[in-house]
Parts: sequence; C-alpha cells; structure tokens
Amino acid sequence: MKRIRSVFVLVFVAAAVLLSTATAQVTIGILSPLTGGAAGTGQAQKEGFELALKEINAAGGVLGKPLKLIYADTQANPKVAVAAFEKLMTEDNVQFIGGGYSSGVTLALVESFKTFQPLVSWIGGAVSGVGIDNFQGIEELLGNEPWFFHVHPWDYQNTEASTQFIADSGVKTVALLHEDSAFGGPGSQAAQKLLEDAGLNVVLNEAFKSTLFGGTGDFRAAISKAAATKADMLYWIGYDSDVVPMISQIRELNYTPQQIFGAPPGWPSDFAKAPEAQCVTGLIGFMPNLPTPEAMAFTKSFEAMFDKAPDNYMSALAYAQLWSYADSINKAGTTDQAAVIKAMESLTFKSPMGPWKFHDSQITHHQGFGADMWLVFQYQNGVRQIVWPTAKATAPLQSCQASR
Amino acid sequence: MDPTLVLQGLVSGVLAAGLYALVSVGLALAIGVIGVINFAHGEFFMIGAFLAYQLFVSFGFDPLLSLIFVAPALFVIGAIVYRSTIRYVLEAPELNQMLLTFGLSIIFQNLALLIWGGDPRSISGVPYRSIGVQLGGISIGLVPLGSFVISLVLVLALYVGLARTRLGRAMRAVAQNRVGASLVGLEVDRIYLVAFALSALLAGIGGVMIAVIQSPTPTVGFAFTLKAFAIVVLAGLGNIRGILWASLAVAVSESMVATLVPNGDALRNAVFFAIIFIVLVGRAWRRA
Repeated sequence: MKRIRSVFVLVFVAAAVLLSTATAQVTIGILSPLTGGAAGTGQAQKEGFELALKEINAAGGVLGKPLKLIYADTQANPKVAVAAFEKLMTEDNVQFIGGGYSSGVTLALVESFKTFQPLVSWIGGAVSGVGIDNFQGIEELLGNEPWFFHVHPWDYQNTEASTQFIADSGVKTVALLHEDSAFGGPGSQAAQKLLEDAGLNVVLNEAFKSTLFGGTGDFRAAISKAAATKADMLYWIGYDSDVVPMISQIRELNYTPQQIFGAPPGWPSDFAKAPEAQCVTGLIGFMPNLPTPEAMAFTKSFEAMFDKAPDNYMSALAYAQLWSYADSINKAGTTDQAAVIKAMESLTFKSPMGPWKFHDSQITHHQGFGADMWLVFQYQNGVRQIVWPTAKATAPLQSCQASR
Repeated sequence: MDPTLVLQGLVSGVLAAGLYALVSVGLALAIGVIGVINFAHGEFFMIGAFLAYQLFVSFGFDPLLSLIFVAPALFVIGAIVYRSTIRYVLEAPELNQMLLTFGLSIIFQNLALLIWGGDPRSISGVPYRSIGVQLGGISIGLVPLGSFVISLVLVLALYVGLARTRLGRAMRAVAQNRVGASLVGLEVDRIYLVAFALSALLAGIGGVMIAVIQSPTPTVGFAFTLKAFAIVVLAGLGNIRGILWASLAVAVSESMVATLVPNGDALRNAVFFAIIFIVLVGRAWRRA
C-alpha cells in the first residue's frame, strides 16, 4: 500500500512538473525609458513591441501560449535602469531581456548583466568603444558574451553610413557639433576619424549640452563657432528634443552651409511643417515611406493600431526584436537558454527594414543590423524624402544654399 | 578669438537672462512670501509650454496670443494646487514641504506624459521663430529679444506691484512676519494663495516662450528649475529684487564660457553649480 502511494505521489509530481513546463507562459522583460527625458523613444519602442505582440499572439503565441511582456521603466537613468533590471531578474524571474536605449544606461547595466546572465537582446546602446583610446564601450565589454545580442548598429556602423553619405553629398569641410554624453562624445571621435580617413576636413569638433541631459536648448555659442569656420556642412549628433532649438538657431544666426545634417535617434513628427526644416537632412533607421513590401505592411498595421505613422525608427527596431525572440523560442521549442541562443544565431528574421540575421561585427558574433540599415532623409517642401542611398531614394538631394 | 563671436556670446547671454529672470522670480516669490521651496515650479513652466502647443495645434493660436489664455489658466492651476495641497504643509517641517512639491512634480510630469505622450513636439509654422536681425555681424533673434522684453516688463511690473500696490505691500508684510500680518487683519491664507498662483503664472508665461523655440516635453521644466534655484541662491533666498542681476550674471557667465572655452557649451551646468558653490562659500566665509 505504501509503495502504491509512493508511485502515485511520484506520478503526480512528474505530471505536475510536465504540465507546468508545457503550459508555462513565456515572459520577456522589457527595459525602456517609458518616462523621463527619453520617454518619446521609450514610448515609440513600446508601440513597436505592442504591435509585434499582437501579431505574435494572433499567430499562436510562443510555445503555444500567448507571449507576455513585463515593462520596466529605466527613465534613461543608469541607477534607475539597474534597479529595474534587478527587479525583472529577482522578482519577476524573467529569462529574456529586450528593449534597450542609451549607451550610458547600457554601460551602467554591464556588471548586472554579467551577474545574472539572462539572454539579452538589445536595441539601444550604440557606443562600441572600438577604436577609442582610454574608453571601454559596450561591444568591448559585452561583445564576447554568448548571451548578449545587439540589434541596433554600432557607432562605427552609424558613422560608416554617415561618412558615406557626407562623401557622396560632395562637401569638403565639416563642422561637427555633438552632445557630450556617452552617445555623442565617443560617436564624434569615431566620426571625425572616419571623415578624415575619407579625405574630408573636419574643421571643428565641439560639444554641447543636450536638452535631454539638463541643457536649456541654447546652442548659439556652439553654432556661432561652427558658422565662423564657414564649413560646407554642419553635422550634429544629439537627441530628438535638440532638433527644434538646433535648427531654428542655425537659421536665426544666419548660418547657411550647403548641408545641415543631424543624427538624433528621432525627429519631432510635426517638424516637417516648419519653414526652417527645409533642406535639413537626417540619418534614420526606418522611414514610413520606404518603398518596400515589408515597410509598407508594417506602416499600415502600425497606423491601424496607433492612428499615426511610425516616425521613430525605434518602433521598427522593437518590432523586429520581439519577432526575433518569438521565432527563436518557437524554433528552439523550449526556453532553455542554450537552445534559444542557437536558434537566434541561425535564423533569419522579418522586419520592416527587410530580412535580417545576427552576424559578426568587429568583436561580437551577435550583431543584428549594420550600416546598410541607415537611410538619409531630407525635408523638402514639408515632406521627408529619402535622398540616400540612391537605390532607395524617393528624391534627389538638394543643397541648402540652392533652396535659400 | 574673433571679436564678433565674443559680442555674439554676450548678446545671447543678455537675451537669455530675461527668461531666466521670469522663471526665477516666480520661484523667489514662492520662497520669499510663502516660505515653500517649490520643486514643482518647473512643471508650471512645462504646463504653460504644453497649453501653448495645444492651443496652436487645436485652434491655430499664435503662442504670443495664447498668453491671454495660458496666463489665467496657470493662475487658476496654481491657486488650485495651493488650496488643495500646499496650504496643508505650511506648518510642517521643510522636508515634508519639499517632499510634497517633489511628488507634485512627478505627478504633473506623468500627467503630461499621459495626455501628450513623450514625443518631442514642435510648434511648426510660427513665422518669426527662426528670424534673426543682423547688426554688424551680430544676430539678434526675434524670439529671444521678444521673450527678453516681455520678461523684463513682467519682472519690473512685479517689482512695482510689490512696492506700490496694497496687495504687494500685504505680500511683503506676510513675508516678513506672518503672525504680525495676521494680527493687523491681513488675510494671510488668501495672500499666500495669490502669491503661489502668481508664481505659477510667471512660470507658465516662461513656458509659452520656450514652446516657441523648443520642443515641449514632460521634463522641459527641469533644466530651468535648476537655473532658477541657482539664481535664487545667488540673489539670496527670497530676495525678489536681486533676481534680475543674478539672472544676468548666470546667463552671461554661461554664454561667455560656452563661447570662449573649447567645448564650453557642455560646461553650462558646471558654470551655475560653480556660481552656487562660490556664493555659498563666500557668504559663509563673510559670516565667519
């Protein structure tokens, strides 16, 4: 009798374990700046995740169950981000981490990532550290970790695209203005080196305080210095909230270079209507008017769900990231980290930017998008036209001096 | 260094001082009259910016015209905030007051995030936003000039109002001695309400001006609150009269460092922290 009871207990426990494994809902922890100065980008990411989540669950979910997301707000603040990540690991017990924004935040998370070692797929934090003396960047610190996947291009890939565009635009001299955090500082060093290697003359490399990090948006001193150089191009690296003061003050100070080129993560959606936007060019990862079937399908679904266009490319990256998680876990057939990593390494994923897969970059073997993701748009008569690369262009590049 | 560049830096600094003074004088009013250190001051500034943006987007109101609606709206919001929260902590320890206003700041930021979202917005299509008048190689922006003039008029009007009007004298009396003012028949609570509402109104007008040249975001008031605290400290806590010159000192120092020092624009915040440090140490040293 005792033996029969033991067998029943064993069968019951085994069944319970099997049942719990079979019905476990996969949960992904998302670290995004949902409030604070970078909330615009965080909310754009959330919209991309929500659209992907809706589609993934409509298509059967992950391992036969609806996928679940737990958002953790980093506020783009390193200390808050570390606490938010540790809560995801210790209280929510997630195995997979998504989201990601800000190189400063990512660098602060490095040690915590290494302590807990979840599977991390990251769509922010471009500062690689490659080629920069006395500075350890994200790719240098995490690039060799088997559990770390980096979706967003690295800074040298951003700069490779920017440099190619600048060289193609025909300018000879460049005045470079950059915000002074972990995003713009190393980014401008890498940009200057690549531009000079391409035979361009960088006549100024000057820092400014971004409105995202406590600046009041008065960039007149930095712009005046750039204007004094009479450079053919003003190239600025900053954030979304710097766009309006930067461009309006360039006009106010009567500085008219051939090209005004910016590389913030996003642009104010209604800025196209502003007269001062005319001829301004910008680097961007995705455009709603990108003439490809994937882009058109994504834009249509996004507009149907949110009643607006996906103007911030972080929506498209977030969408691509979540689909890559869902496809990999489904392909692995388990949440076992090693199996999911193997699936992530081997699969090709869908995205609004076209098919993509993880590949080698300078250090890591897990790099998602590269320099070829980038597009350059130009505001032309109230519309953002794609002007580079030529193969994807919807209009030719115009000179600001011609459109004056 | 090109002398035109230096002169441009000086002009930019002087023009920026107007807005700094407008935001700071409201904070000084709250500290000087009511004795409350208001960490939510920048959020009144942010609300002013968003209201101007919304009036522009919904009705096409020019931001300057929207001042007619935004200023009274901020006065009412300030009065409601005072009546519903601030008045209950007037007798409480300063830490409680600060925690309350800090909490209000978080609530207002998140309300703005819910209503307007976190995307940077742009009042696009204001014809004068990017116009600079060129004078001998120096550019004077119409918006900075306009905001300087409006700020100067409002701050001077406040000075005159405090010195010459019955309400102004009552505010000064309450600021000097609350109990004494009450004993001679002044309605202290009402005067506090008006002072706090006026403080919110001034911040809101500053917000309207910034909405023209920047993107209103839920955190747009933060940087200006920091500057305002530096200016209030420099002028002396609660010293409303010292705000104008203190604003000029902070704004011109920042602009000149940004102009004369390589990568100086990134040092703007270091400048005002240095000013606070020097002033506080200097005052302590003088007292010793």
